[in-house]
Amino acid sequence: MTNYLLICRSLTYAQRASKVLKSAGIPASISRIPKEIATNGCGYCVRLAEKWLSRSLELLNNTGLQPIKVYAWYGYENYAEV
Amino acid sequence: MVYLDNAATTLIKPDAVARSMASAVKTLASPGRGGHEASMRAAQTAFDCRETAAEMFGVCSPENVIFTMNATHALNIAIRSLAGRGSRAVVSGYEHNSVMRPLHAVGADIRVARGGLFDKNAVVYSFRKELMRGADVAVCTHISNVFGFILPIDEVAEMCRKYSVPLIIDAAQSAGAETLNIEDLGASFAAMPGHKGLYGPQGTGLLLIGENVRAQPLMFGGSGSNSELMDMPDVYPDRLEAGTHNMPGIAGLSEGIRFVRKIGEYRIKRHERRLIDLAHRLLSGIGGLELYYTEDAGAQGGVMSFAVADMSSEECAESLSELGIAVRAGLHCAPSAHASAGTDKRGTVRISVSAFNTEDDIYALFDAMKRIKAKKL
Repeated sequence: MTNYLLICRSLTYAQRASKVLKSAGIPASISRIPKEIATNGCGYCVRLAEKWLSRSLELLNNTGLQPIKVYAWYGYENYAEV
Repeated sequence: MVYLDNAATTLIKPDAVARSMASAVKTLASPGRGGHEASMRAAQTAFDCRETAAEMFGVCSPENVIFTMNATHALNIAIRSLAGRGSRAVVSGYEHNSVMRPLHAVGADIRVARGGLFDKNAVVYSFRKELMRGADVAVCTHISNVFGFILPIDEVAEMCRKYSVPLIIDAAQSAGAETLNIEDLGASFAAMPGHKGLYGPQGTGLLLIGENVRAQPLMFGGSGSNSELMDMPDVYPDRLEAGTHNMPGIAGLSEGIRFVRKIGEYRIKRHERRLIDLAHRLLSGIGGLELYYTEDAGAQGGVMSFAVADMSSEECAESLSELGIAVRAGLHCAPSAHASAGTDKRGTVRISVSAFNTEDDIYALFDAMKRIKAKKL
């Protein structure tokens, strides 16, 4: 199953984004950005399943909490920027 | 002991503060330093505290709530972000050394907008005069730590907006006892301790940052983010929070803030003011005391100073301490405030109350002062 990683500018930002999504009933979790796709070192992202991606991005855009980047994660070290 | 030194720190806290701190020591790791359960639990605790503070003080985002060691730490960040050598800094005549010393240290040109004690109009007049001369930054305490004088922060903020001068509010005595909304006031920064009117533990403080205000870090180091960059991250709170967080402190502060929000600032303020009114009424009956008090409840909070005619302030405080009453004497780290009120030569004895003080505490102070005065005769 493909997961999506919404890259956030900080942990607090990721927490705000995650809260918005959870309030809308979207299962989202916060996790560390995998080293392979981290632009400037450590950071946090919001992880969710493919079926929630479109609705999540819409919600985050509407609340001014757009992610910096979005990656599809196909498992292990297999990532692709969306 | 009857504790009447709450302007220094509120010694009596809600029970939940100590409980949450003890639990934090065992269960909370470092937020932003891992993805494991203990780290994420700490991150959630910190986020909850930021979010609650942002709601309470009208901050645009939880990210603009910065954890500091105390109000002084927060003021140092704010002042160093806005003032440098030669900056024209307008301050009220009631500032603490936590404002005056950082301004002096950066080499600012400090201009004091003096006004008489409890005279809000005089403060407004002086501020306007100084701001019209041109200023780069203004700093105003919300409530004087010496006299409880509630400064006209709305009017000062309005003038700062009018003259486009960034405003720093020292909310050391007002946070938790007065409503304060950073966004409404258009303030650039507000600094506050966690351990006074917010009933958190010592070692905690908050810096609240206005929208689109760029602050400069005071400390540099690990932030758990953008670790490959040599510069501190651009985003808050990471930019200003180098090093490991005081998680037991933050957990305790969260509970303190929860306590304040449950009771409400207005009720706390009313309770404190009633006690100050009682103290004034009782102490007025003792001869030889000069009480710095105003009947205007909008101009004085839960702090009152007094001077004893035939006794130094330190001697009086020492005698009170021997009788089990904790107060503070001297200049209270605010010589400028004493200069404004004309009490700089001898200092004052200060009583300051909290939500946990009772009328019995004030009667105990009264009895003690009667005994001290009788002994002097």
